[in-house]
Amino acid sequence: MREKKLWLVAALLALTVAGSAWAQESFYKGKTIRIIVGFSAGGGFDTYARAIARHMSKHVPGNPTILVENMTGAGSLIAANHVFKVARPDGLTMGHFIGGLFMQQLYGRPGVEFDARKFEYVGTPVTDKPVCALTKASGITSVEKWMASPTPVKLGGTAPGSNTDDVPKILRSALGLPIQLVSGYKGTADIRLAAESGELAGGCWGWDSIRATWRKGIESGEAVVVLQAVPKALPDLPKVPLAIDLAKSDEGRQLIQVGIHSVSAVIRPYVLPPGTPKDRVQTLRTAFANTMKDREFLADAEKSNLDIEPMSGEELEKTVTGLFKLNPALVAKLKEAVEAK
Amino acid sequence: MLEMVSAFVAGFYKVLTPTTFSLMLIGIGVGFMVGILPGLGGPTTLALMLPFIFKMNAVEAFAFLLGMSAVTATTGDITSILFGVPGEPTTASTIVDGHPMAKKGEAGRALGAALMSSLVGAIFGAFCLALAVPVVRPLVLTFGSPEFFMIALLGVGFVASLSGGNLLKGLISGGLGFCFAMVGLDPISGIQRYTFGQLFLWDGIGLVPVTVGLFAIPEIIDLAVQGGSIAKEKVGKIGGVMTGVKDTFKHWWMVIRCSAIGAYIGVIPGMGGGVSQWIAYAHAVQSSPDKERFGKGAVEGVLGPGAANNSTLGGSLIPTVAFGVPGSVSTAILLGAFIIQGIVPGPDMLLPPPKGKLDITFSFVWIIVLSNLLTVAICFLFLNWLAKITNIRGSLLMPFILLLVYVGTFAEKNAFADLLIVLGFGLLGWLMVRFDWQRPPLLLGLVLGPLMENRLFLATDNYGIAWLWRPGVIILFLLTLIGIFYPVFKTRRGRQAESGRIQPGAGAEKEQTMPRRAALFSFALVAVLSWALWESRNFGFRAGLFPWVIGTPVLLLSIVQFARDILGKTKRTGLESTMDQELPKEIARRRTAAIVGWIVAFFLAIWLLGFSLAAPVMTLLYLRVAGRESWPSTIASTVLAGALVYGFFERALHIPFPEGEIFLWLQ
Repeated sequence: MREKKLWLVAALLALTVAGSAWAQESFYKGKTIRIIVGFSAGGGFDTYARAIARHMSKHVPGNPTILVENMTGAGSLIAANHVFKVARPDGLTMGHFIGGLFMQQLYGRPGVEFDARKFEYVGTPVTDKPVCALTKASGITSVEKWMASPTPVKLGGTAPGSNTDDVPKILRSALGLPIQLVSGYKGTADIRLAAESGELAGGCWGWDSIRATWRKGIESGEAVVVLQAVPKALPDLPKVPLAIDLAKSDEGRQLIQVGIHSVSAVIRPYVLPPGTPKDRVQTLRTAFANTMKDREFLADAEKSNLDIEPMSGEELEKTVTGLFKLNPALVAKLKEAVEAK
Repeated sequence: MLEMVSAFVAGFYKVLTPTTFSLMLIGIGVGFMVGILPGLGGPTTLALMLPFIFKMNAVEAFAFLLGMSAVTATTGDITSILFGVPGEPTTASTIVDGHPMAKKGEAGRALGAALMSSLVGAIFGAFCLALAVPVVRPLVLTFGSPEFFMIALLGVGFVASLSGGNLLKGLISGGLGFCFAMVGLDPISGIQRYTFGQLFLWDGIGLVPVTVGLFAIPEIIDLAVQGGSIAKEKVGKIGGVMTGVKDTFKHWWMVIRCSAIGAYIGVIPGMGGGVSQWIAYAHAVQSSPDKERFGKGAVEGVLGPGAANNSTLGGSLIPTVAFGVPGSVSTAILLGAFIIQGIVPGPDMLLPPPKGKLDITFSFVWIIVLSNLLTVAICFLFLNWLAKITNIRGSLLMPFILLLVYVGTFAEKNAFADLLIVLGFGLLGWLMVRFDWQRPPLLLGLVLGPLMENRLFLATDNYGIAWLWRPGVIILFLLTLIGIFYPVFKTRRGRQAESGRIQPGAGAEKEQTMPRRAALFSFALVAVLSWALWESRNFGFRAGLFPWVIGTPVLLLSIVQFARDILGKTKRTGLESTMDQELPKEIARRRTAAIVGWIVAFFLAIWLLGFSLAAPVMTLLYLRVAGRESWPSTIASTVLAGALVYGFFERALHIPFPEGEIFLWLQ
């Protein structure tokens, strides 16, 4: 009797799953999914989105067309607000903006009109891996020399709120490293040029980008990675010290953990508008996860020098909502660190 | 040395393989269209085409991408000349003299001059790229933020030459450009300046909507008020394309100097065609003995910018190749292509094979040269046909010009709010033309403003006050002084020589057409500037310094101008084309009101119905009501407009037009 019941449940379950897959297939068949990217065509966010758009269709039942649309402005805040407020929650619009905006909400900055806790999260293709690279000419070739430097070490930044600015500021606050942040460079390429010409000592941003664009400097020893702000040493930088290990206090460790590690993990989120039907959220989460394993996608990504280290929608959601459960004193401390000059 | 030559030759053969060559042709085809369509800029298209290069090898990929971006500046000139609508933001300066030429029936000559000078400029820029290879690294590395600031300042020095003899108005106009450049988040502390809490203003006011508004809207109004076709005189013999080609060789050294200006400005990161075109234009004015002709269709005003905006590409590739630092938006995207192709920009690109990839660098040179040769050749086949567009009735062209203005502006950033900026700057541009204010200094200020503010702070943060004594800074400062005072000195000498013949300011008193309204306009400027200055009191030192330093003198200057307007002391410069000539005031006023109504109506229809539906509806309405066209031509145009916007822009190019508001309400 018991067994019979179990069978019935299993059969029903199978039917529901098949049914919902069929329903999804009939929903997405002939439809178009739009990925709204908050940055301009040709940039890093756009490149990821376009690579994903090319390959994700075959993993969604019904094989919808997937298009990328660029909605630029205010460091992708316009796109984030749009996906939250304007886009229809029908599973046909997906948003891609910078995850640092979640912190902006937490800090209560003006212009944020979304509530990160209400988005539906699809996943993220990669975790950012900020490291600090300095030129040999600056004389700062190790973290010990850095710590002992009598004058603040000049690092280049792009704009308040970007990781080129926030990572050094949090490191300064958490580790007491002597840093003078010179912000306002147009991009990391300009920071690199200024470092090569001797105007700056260097800067902190993603290892993938440094490895790709500063390869010559790193290989010849003209530029040295002296510190990595990641939870675990990167495979190709086994000997470079971790920022978190240098923190002397619990508070310092927490600042780095939340302000750098957590933010880096959610920096490239793919989200759906709040209220998107749960079955469609699930379909897209699965499709996203499968795309990340797709061989052709990985080959494409490797060619464009896109690192892939995915995080599932569930995990992403947990990390983001986790940010909103932080101790208010820590949030205040973080805010103070990133708002300091 | 021999290795270099052989790399140069190897680069040529790399381009000449059948696949590479045909990919370059496809790229040219795409770039051709993109250049002609305003707003839809080279950079956007370049980015959209990136996915296609996965399966190509390095030279093929760049033949495709560079071929495309190399021709946009050339074909952008065509739109600028024919319609007065900038085909690309980098071809706005071609309008100033090119469009008046078209009105005089010299469209063919203007097009011929633009194409030929573009070709010369492109080839010059390409060879700069080739010749710069051995010296570029040490040269650029001596440049820091202080020198970049000084170069921007040097650019500002050219405002004087763009002022058309009225230095005061020119300075105010340039200062206004600086003020508009301050809108948005300030680059240093992230404070909002003059954004009115609007998110779309956070990134500042875009160059495309400002350029289109300032130049295209006044031309549209002018065309409607004057009636008839764009060309006011019959396209006669003088409109010949060959005349324009010959003009290029007649002014050979000026064309070469403007090409050099374009190439050098291209090298500087952050500056590009947006700056070089105006500096080249200013140089063309400066070096001409007869400045009065400019703005009324002087061929030199087409030749200079035509050469410069093309040579900029070669120049901007230099830092991209040598350092991986892009000199412009297009080269930033090309850099993405480098990475897809597994090429690391840097010193390797400058070493001959087998050690480096100099052959690839040289193949870029050849791609630029060949694609420009091809484009110009293709263009010449169509030129006479293109020039004839200026003979078509204006009323028949009007809906298409308006649609291009709106669609193009939207397509640049996919931002609907930019349409409002076009309307706002359209009004400003129209008033400026009416009251004889120069628009080019405003654009130059808008482009250079952010660059100067940014580099000033970077220089001060990095070096303290000591940056002022760097040798490069001092040299550039001296150059700036020469740039400002040489023309003044030259004019004074010229005036002394001529004083016997012409009484200076003799024609001034006659032109007192609208002293009161002119005073009202300058009073509005005073009011807005005072408000801006008052508003900046809360910005704090870092975000406020630039608004204070720029705002205060500009406010003072505009007060002086206001006083002069009240006293009726301003003479007309005649650099900007004057409107409403030979038309009874009543008719002119009625027609102006009508076309302004239509401009706003097109905007409202797009807002309410969405682009794809508004295009045919408004074309139909305009042609029947305003144009009084026959049914057959109305229907043909309506179908064409609908097909263009829906079929081409929405379906083929996937431009994400927003839905009409009405449909949102109906839900």
